[in-house]
Amino acid sequence: MEGLWRPLAEVAVILLAGAAIGCGLAGAFLTAAAGRTERAAWGFAIGLALLAASAPLAFAARRPPREMALLLGALAVGGAFLLRHRRGKDAAQGRRRGGVRALLTRPGILLLPLVAFGAAVFALRALTEPMWSNDYIAIWGFKGKTIFGAGGVPRRLFADPALGFSHPEYPLGLPFLYASLSFLLGRWDDHAMALLFPFLQAATLLALFGWLRRRGVTPTIALFAAALLANFGPLYSALHTGMGDIPFAFVSLLFGTALVDALDQIDPMAVRRLALATVLAVSTKNEGTLLAAAGAFLCLASRGWARRASRGAAAAIVAPAVSLLLAGRLWKGALPLRDFDLALLGPTLILELLPRVAEAIHTAFREVILPSWPGLLCIAVLIAAGRSAPAGNRLLALAILCCLAYLLAPSLAALGPDWLIRTSFARTVCALAPLAAAAIASRLKIEG
Amino acid sequence: MNLRQGLAAAASGVLLLLLLWGDDPKELARRARTLAGSVGSELAVRRLHGSGTAQDRRFFAFLESARRRLPAGTVGVAITGLPPSDAALYIAAYQFAPTPVLLDPQSVPPGWLLAVYGTARPAGWKVVAPVWGGALMAPT
Repeated sequence: MEGLWRPLAEVAVILLAGAAIGCGLAGAFLTAAAGRTERAAWGFAIGLALLAASAPLAFAARRPPREMALLLGALAVGGAFLLRHRRGKDAAQGRRRGGVRALLTRPGILLLPLVAFGAAVFALRALTEPMWSNDYIAIWGFKGKTIFGAGGVPRRLFADPALGFSHPEYPLGLPFLYASLSFLLGRWDDHAMALLFPFLQAATLLALFGWLRRRGVTPTIALFAAALLANFGPLYSALHTGMGDIPFAFVSLLFGTALVDALDQIDPMAVRRLALATVLAVSTKNEGTLLAAAGAFLCLASRGWARRASRGAAAAIVAPAVSLLLAGRLWKGALPLRDFDLALLGPTLILELLPRVAEAIHTAFREVILPSWPGLLCIAVLIAAGRSAPAGNRLLALAILCCLAYLLAPSLAALGPDWLIRTSFARTVCALAPLAAAAIASRLKIEG
Repeated sequence: MNLRQGLAAAASGVLLLLLLWGDDPKELARRARTLAGSVGSELAVRRLHGSGTAQDRRFFAFLESARRRLPAGTVGVAITGLPPSDAALYIAAYQFAPTPVLLDPQSVPPGWLLAVYGTARPAGWKVVAPVWGGALMAPT
């Protein structure tokens, strides 16, 4: 009989090793101006991406998945050494913001325990029991366990009508990550793997703090934003452990920050980060495609679309997103969005759509917005108290565009707008919290 | 501190308090006790006592027992003996994955086993393994 501690320690070792390897490669995506916190966050994202990619690569190459993960890890370590050797001289220069020293101030010492408290509470909620939420059992965990158990991707995951409940049209990024972790572990352990989620929360907080500091936000505001996000129970909950929302919250923050860095031409590597974040977002949830579309729209709408930066950013979004979607279409075939009836967009049914839009908005107000008015009022005050700043404004616009899409898309719900708003609106909007936190904090105060 | 900064500080403080207010100390204590009490248990026992099986723990015990007795190379499992529900289908499909599962099908596909929940034993089928709360059966 095996308890929890050993598999938990094994998962922790795999995740930390992935993060360490990813940190080595982060130099290909971040300049020396990025602090350790942001580097660690991107490193974790790269490590997870490599780990998740190891399973499909192994299936394609007909190699054992564990061997492929180790091979990818070894190649990544080699790549990291080469990168370090090439950029060795300038690596230590320019690091001034985003480091841990900024935390050793009086506000830092007061706020850090709040961040730690939020992280500890979420870790307790995530690890109390094996992952259990309905969507984990029916969708994310089911596909991951099937891929792991079958040692491949059975065709029936896309083709069997009896498996419609598992949403064959959803991306396989998270199931591949579960399967790859299990191949390395040597077994399926849906309790120990829950540790992934506190790690994702920690990476999100590091990304938020690191980016805010790099963009000149004071340590106190950056840390306060991290403290608020760490304690954001509607996202970091036991229910969401195992589902795609917490990973998507992380990658949407990476996407948003890379997008505004690319548009502001902060550094030459921002476009690479944006392309990587697009791949991660589109591979994690269908909302990633919406996020990419919203990002591309912002590129088009940004003043001076003819500018090379706007075009470069748009290309960094559109090229990977379209490639992934086409590859998915070729591999899986045409899979309709199960929850939606797109015939409502047709000319004969358009008259049905307007009442549905009204119903979606009404239900969202009744079920989500009115019950959470005190918190939303605070957010509105924080937005109003901020000053216009290009990066913050764009992030806010990105979050608002996604919110509007989540509010209006249920108008096309096959089972009615009321049902989809009730089951998904609050959950999907909560995943925009890191993006909103970055937007609001970056508009509040910038160092001189 | 100007008015904007004052408003921002007040709103941030209230928001933080609202978020912290959402943490129920009793819930956190209960979670800590559950974790401490179950940490040495087998994974299946932890799931049996968890939220994912709260709807019908006996059915989960049956599924886990049947999964353990499933002969290698089983093509699929048809489960009968309980009213079909989404929750039962999801947990059964998850528990048996990657082996395909059908819940209360009109007919059992060739080569599949039948997992009967309860005491009924359909004609034309023989017990290949008794399991907790039911039996695994194959065509005679």
